[in-house]
Amino acid sequence: MASSPVELASATDQEVVALARHGQDAAYRELVRRYERPVFSLVYRMVRDRELAEDLSQETFVKALNAIESYRPEFKFSSWIFKIANNAAIDHLRRRELDTLSLDGSPHAETPEAIEATALQIGDRQETALEEVEARELGGEIETAISRLRPEYRSCILLRHVEGRAYEEIAEILGLPLGTVKTYIHRARNELRLSLAHLKE
Amino acid sequence: MTRHTDAHLSADDIDAWLAGHLGPTEQAHLAACPGCLETAEADRALIQQLGSLQMFSPSPVFADQVMAAVSLPDPFSLRSMQTARRRLFATSRSVALAATIAVVVLGSMAASVAWSLSHRDTIAAAGTWLSASAGQWLWTALRSTVSSVIEQPGYRGIRDLIGSPGRLVALSALVSLTYVGGLLALRKLMTGPSGPVSHANA
Repeated sequence: MASSPVELASATDQEVVALARHGQDAAYRELVRRYERPVFSLVYRMVRDRELAEDLSQETFVKALNAIESYRPEFKFSSWIFKIANNAAIDHLRRRELDTLSLDGSPHAETPEAIEATALQIGDRQETALEEVEARELGGEIETAISRLRPEYRSCILLRHVEGRAYEEIAEILGLPLGTVKTYIHRARNELRLSLAHLKE
Repeated sequence: MTRHTDAHLSADDIDAWLAGHLGPTEQAHLAACPGCLETAEADRALIQQLGSLQMFSPSPVFADQVMAAVSLPDPFSLRSMQTARRRLFATSRSVALAATIAVVVLGSMAASVAWSLSHRDTIAAAGTWLSASAGQWLWTALRSTVSSVIEQPGYRGIRDLIGSPGRLVALSALVSLTYVGGLLALRKLMTGPSGPVSHANA
């Protein structure tokens, strides 16, 4: 079985996972090397915040590698890691949605004073260097159009047409029926076509 | 299922067209329907655009940060043993396999002990024959070796050299000294450097 760096690079995911299960440090690194860019790209496009995407990607790898014993080799390792990454991103987006609602004050506040007291105060937003990088990276028309899609559509379209995953694998990753995945992808394509239609004119 | 050529293409049909698997009826419709052709072409362009999006890289220290946070399994830890046990008993097939192996190993051992106990005379006879044969083979081999040595042209010289007790003692001392010297040199070679080692310039 492969164990040197050169052999590891040519080994299948299942072989590398088998070595990782035996505690081989190099095998863990190889799995990170193979998937750090696809996972980070997916999460970054989902949350559109570089620092947060890095934290969520790190959380994804730590969760996956610490639970490598529970990984079932009959499934693709890529499906498993993308599933964990997508769940992390979707969970974050849901939490952020709740936080955004609370910016306007507690829904239980009844008087204008109570609403004002419970509302979050946000200062002037200074654009940091990191945000400038993000704006440049994700500022293209198509990236902006992707960001306007519902998170479920976004996951599907990114996995299908950016990562090149098969419909069946996407259904496995997202835990959705195949028909739903196809519907989401077709709707996402329609929305993107409409968003980008003005570029053709 | 048959289709009329006037039915517009579905999203699945457009997927099939993109993959080059569109049926002849749908192909005929596509050739005659500017609306469907426009949608299909737009989808193709969109998919090409999506496929050419760049991959992003996390910071260069990303892998190190992940590795620092991951706990590598110790194959001899209690947890690993428990995991191995859990995996062994995970499915009925693995339980059946483990039970079969255990039965075969224990059964073979029991059968071996039982056979040995009931055939003690046979084992004793075989042992006697083996030791007698081995002795005979050893003796034959020794005699052949000695005969061969005696017939060597240099044998007379060696016999003369060790014939005198004084020369024999001197030779033994020389051999012993060489052996001890060799041991000391080997020990020195195998001991690591006590001080820092300067790196050679490439």
